Amino acid sequence: MHGWRDELELRRLQEVMRRKLTRRGFLKGAGIGAAGIGAASVLPSCGGGIGTGETDVTPADLFGGPMEDEVHFANWPVYIDKAKDPETGERYSPSLRMFEEETGVSVNYAEVIQENASFFGKLQPQLQAGQATGWDIIVMTNGWEFTALVRNGWVYPLDTTKRPNFDGNALDWAADPPFDPGAQHSMAYQSGITGMVYNADLIAPIATLDDLADPSKVPPDSVGMIKADMPDFVMINLGIDPTTSGPDGWREAADWLIKQRETGVVRQYYEQGYVDDLTAGNLAASMAWSGDVFYYQVWGGYPNLEFVFPEGGGYLWTDNMMVPAGAANPVAALALMDWFYRPDIATMLQEFIFYMSPCAGTQELILEDAAAAEEEGSKGYANKLRATAENEYLFPSDELLARCSFGRQLETDEEKEEWDSIFEPISEG
Amino acid sequence: MAAVDTVHRPRPHGIERRRRRVAYGLLFPGGGWLLVFFLVPVFIMAYTSLMSGGVLSGGFRFTWEFSNYLDALTGRQVFVLRSLSFAAMTTIGTVLLAYPAAYWIAFHGGRWKNTLLFMILLPYFVSFVIRTVQWKFILADNGPLLGTLKDLGIVPGDFHVLATPIAVVGGLIYNYLPFAALPLFVALDRIDRTLIEGAYDLYANRTQAFLKIVFPLSMPGVFAATLLTFVPATGDYVEAEILGGPTTKMIGNIIQTEFLTRARYPVAAALSMVLMLTMVLLTSIYAKAIGTEDETLAAARL
Repeated sequence: MHGWRDELELRRLQEVMRRKLTRRGFLKGAGIGAAGIGAASVLPSCGGGIGTGETDVTPADLFGGPMEDEVHFANWPVYIDKAKDPETGERYSPSLRMFEEETGVSVNYAEVIQENASFFGKLQPQLQAGQATGWDIIVMTNGWEFTALVRNGWVYPLDTTKRPNFDGNALDWAADPPFDPGAQHSMAYQSGITGMVYNADLIAPIATLDDLADPSKVPPDSVGMIKADMPDFVMINLGIDPTTSGPDGWREAADWLIKQRETGVVRQYYEQGYVDDLTAGNLAASMAWSGDVFYYQVWGGYPNLEFVFPEGGGYLWTDNMMVPAGAANPVAALALMDWFYRPDIATMLQEFIFYMSPCAGTQELILEDAAAAEEEGSKGYANKLRATAENEYLFPSDELLARCSFGRQLETDEEKEEWDSIFEPISEG
Repeated sequence: MAAVDTVHRPRPHGIERRRRRVAYGLLFPGGGWLLVFFLVPVFIMAYTSLMSGGVLSGGFRFTWEFSNYLDALTGRQVFVLRSLSFAAMTTIGTVLLAYPAAYWIAFHGGRWKNTLLFMILLPYFVSFVIRTVQWKFILADNGPLLGTLKDLGIVPGDFHVLATPIAVVGGLIYNYLPFAALPLFVALDRIDRTLIEGAYDLYANRTQAFLKIVFPLSMPGVFAATLLTFVPATGDYVEAEILGGPTTKMIGNIIQTEFLTRARYPVAAALSMVLMLTMVLLTSIYAKAIGTEDETLAAARL
């Protein structure tokens, strides 16, 4: 009966939060104790307000209100389960519809993120000005954008006491990722491995990173490189641990990339879209994301594509759900984020997205679905589901994960500047 | 006119005043549009170009950071020159292709004129990104075109068009063709046919009539066509992004990278300012060189 009062109280807290964020931004801008504030915001939230702890606004306050009746979810394209309503013919997401039915919250789902940096660029002015972005959930890959959002207080610290499914089912790498200890600011949505792919119609199998720079193995202008991933990926394969790497290691990786470029095998440095060139036969080999290759090979009708986990190791990344500062519906947002950690829901997602699910128990459920499909007589579908459940890159072993790295986390603008000045010229050409 | 009015009628009476109000009123939508959607963004761009800061330390603030301009230009000449040369090739290509088409429609189109013009515009009912991506399929290394030619042994096995300057300039020409064709058509269509008949009466042959009458009179169209292709083609980044490769990056791609990948918003803004001023400078020199103010005005009237 006093819901509106709670609501009012919550709005007030959020308003305080927003104003505070603006002030923090201003203080930092003036260069006052930038280092001090930086250090303070690295502290894992002190269990209290974000950043300096000079506020009494805690995650419990932010997420303590009653459930709102809507949530605005910004995600990447083709990143949710889809089905066609047999009656209306309308396309919808079963997992989201189930959430709506169970909670009464309506989900505004939008596929608006094409790239981390450009989406970040769109939100950055609003976040810096302390304004709401209009989104309650955004999905960002671990990288400097993620770090900037957390460090500047541009995302809310999550109320870790309000995610029962996450507590029960999150896999180790999702429960405590190195880029966000204790998953205090983010919850993994999906994860994947950056490795290599080759087109078996065009070339003989490849096995190591060096094969991507060997003109005797790949034709001229036929190798795709993924721009954002290549520094870490090359370092890993040169035996440099990216997590502890410094400018010397970066330059070593850059030298390899320059050498590769000079051989004339590189077709393009991609932000996205390498898959189009791959399926069109323009690329003989490429850096590649595990889920993409698996999808096209097993489900998309391209059996000629083969994923290769390079001998030197793979680059692991996670796309993370976060609640941007100023979000109007944080409670519903957290509820939806936790919803994806129900094994049955996570299975629905994984059977459509084909990346690593952060939720335990999906492998068994996919196998069950396969058995059910076989009983219904759809043997082809059952086999594909089985191939999905048996794919070692969707369900990596600990041994495989140990050969992967999350890459270098850039902490300061100076580091980022140096990193960019070393790697950007390679693709600028 | 206003000055004359003031001399003769220092105190304009009611009707005159209302007339002026109407004139200003008519100016308002266009002027307001320019103010809100051109001057304000340019101001914001100039303002941003003098900011400093970083995404990992709270964002950017205005500090008169002129060094952004130095930073933006260091090592970027090659991209500026490449963009200018791609744009120049595009301009020449589009005008050479569009002129005969526009000429034919204007002089021989007859009652099909509108249909033919519509056909030139027809592809533009589809998003240009989609059309450009379609070229990627058509020109794929083993696609419908090159695959066939390779099977027939007409071109060598490792031949490709995508990721070369030819693909980028070809894509630019394709996309900017109507921007040249339409002003050329209007200029040619307006030519008084009796002038050409007069030339024949004075024993000019067809070539002479074209060179001495038609072409000079179509110059405003040529001027407009070159401006409408050269200026946007220089800043274009979509063709280079979709059809190009690592060696065909244009200045638009660099601005995009600065803005979207490196998140150096001030440097990106500085680079955009430099590009804009360069284009203003180049087009004014061009306007001076190619003709008089008349051409510019005539082009504007088109």
